[in-house]
Amino acid sequence: MGLFWKVGLINGAVLVAAAALLVLGPFSVSRRPVMSEVVVLGVGLLAMLVVNALLLRSSLGPVDRVVREMATVDPLHPTDRLATPRSAPGRQLVAGFNAMVDRLQDERSASNAKALAAQEAERHRIAQELHDEVGQRLTVVLLGLKRAEQRAPAELAADLALLRETTREGLDDVRRVARQLRPGVLEDLGLASALASLTTDFAQHSGAQVRRVVTPGLPPLPPDTELVLYRVAQEALTNAARHAGATSVELSLTRVGDRVALVVADDGHGFDVRREGAGLRGMRERARLASGELTVTSDPSGTTVRLEVPVTAS
Amino acid sequence: MSTPARILLADDHALVRRGVRLILDQEPDLTVVAEAADGAEAVQLVRSLDLDLVVLDIAMPRMTGLQAAREITRRTSHGDPPRMLMLSMHDNEQYFFESLKVGASGYVLKSAADEDLVGACRAALRGEAFVYPGAMSPLVRDYLDRMRRGERVPETVLTEREDEVLKLIAEGSSSKEIAAALTISVKTVERHRANILAKLGMRDRTQLTRYAIRAGLIEP
Repeated sequence: MGLFWKVGLINGAVLVAAAALLVLGPFSVSRRPVMSEVVVLGVGLLAMLVVNALLLRSSLGPVDRVVREMATVDPLHPTDRLATPRSAPGRQLVAGFNAMVDRLQDERSASNAKALAAQEAERHRIAQELHDEVGQRLTVVLLGLKRAEQRAPAELAADLALLRETTREGLDDVRRVARQLRPGVLEDLGLASALASLTTDFAQHSGAQVRRVVTPGLPPLPPDTELVLYRVAQEALTNAARHAGATSVELSLTRVGDRVALVVADDGHGFDVRREGAGLRGMRERARLASGELTVTSDPSGTTVRLEVPVTAS
Repeated sequence: MSTPARILLADDHALVRRGVRLILDQEPDLTVVAEAADGAEAVQLVRSLDLDLVVLDIAMPRMTGLQAAREITRRTSHGDPPRMLMLSMHDNEQYFFESLKVGASGYVLKSAADEDLVGACRAALRGEAFVYPGAMSPLVRDYLDRMRRGERVPETVLTEREDEVLKLIAEGSSSKEIAAALTISVKTVERHRANILAKLGMRDRTQLTRYAIRAGLIEP
């Protein structure tokens, strides 16, 4: 029953009861009301208001509660939704509200995914430009300086050597920036090599032990899916080192039926998965890009990030 | 020295080709006899020319340097293929291992080409591998790990100095940093590095590849 009809019926019933009581009961109101009549009328009116209030509270109360709870819902958290109350008007409100939050989350994830894809494309373009243009030009300068240095008089050679070292550092910087923007190894050598290089780097910089298991002969994945797997692995390793203080990490990439599963498990001190940080949210959004399923479990003895993507994802 | 070694140079950037060519031609034992602007052209030229060494840029249009190297190894049915050296912007040991896999003898970083290229060419022509410095650290670290676990490792007698250098390499130090830490010259560090590789049985391409596969650094 709709909220309008419910309120209408309750009010109607109370009024009908009051009218019936007035007609059938031993009540009368004189043309010039006397005090006793006013008192009886007042008491009757009061009783009517109380009954009406009680009845309305039982049916509108859940609506108020829902309205209060709405303020605390986090639309981005897929499990954070209002519980459905028993009574009808509250139930409808909750159902409508939850559906809207779901839609909000869907739309938000979709636009985030679009932003991520645009960002990756832009990074790719800049990295390529750095490699192909700036890097090549600096290489030319480096080689030219070397040759000039060999033929220059001694008093000039020292200056040229200094310039050559500076050029080399410039070239190293360009390469480092390009690499941070986009892992060239992923594109050139594939996911297995990219993960190998990621774990080698990680071991070197964090000092943690890393075990890497990549099943040979994995089915080929679309480049976008490989990038998602790579970025999720990267984020999981970063979290393991930076926040969880892990000393040992295992990364595996295996085939599970018609899906490929990436698992990064560390022995760090874990975190509360209900309080989703930017990192975890980012992983979830990336997983969405590859139609993948991300599960994160964490307790004080370690964290496991698992991402499964379908092999046939396009 | 009889005749200089005949080199083919492949890089899509004409000015880089010119720079590399000037560096190589300056050496009496090396001469660049042909240039290619992409991998496919390099493969074509290898078939029609008599070459001792091919220097391939990794990132080239049409056919990358790695694809070209694989093709050159595969297509040379009669006689030995020319030795190959990869030239690259990427400071990443995975490229080095991949280069070994496709048949190259070495990997030279463009930002170190002014220092390393001539030496790498000579090493490749001698039939040795030129180990790109960035790949030393994972190789050596694996060796140390296995020694710590008590596994069988190649019988080696490293000098005390070589042992010090080995540990610093494992920590990821560069030649320059090692030279500073041990107050020796960069040249000396590089000599130690070559000796260590030889003693660990990683002198040539085949040995190195086998070692890297066993260490799980590359897929077979």
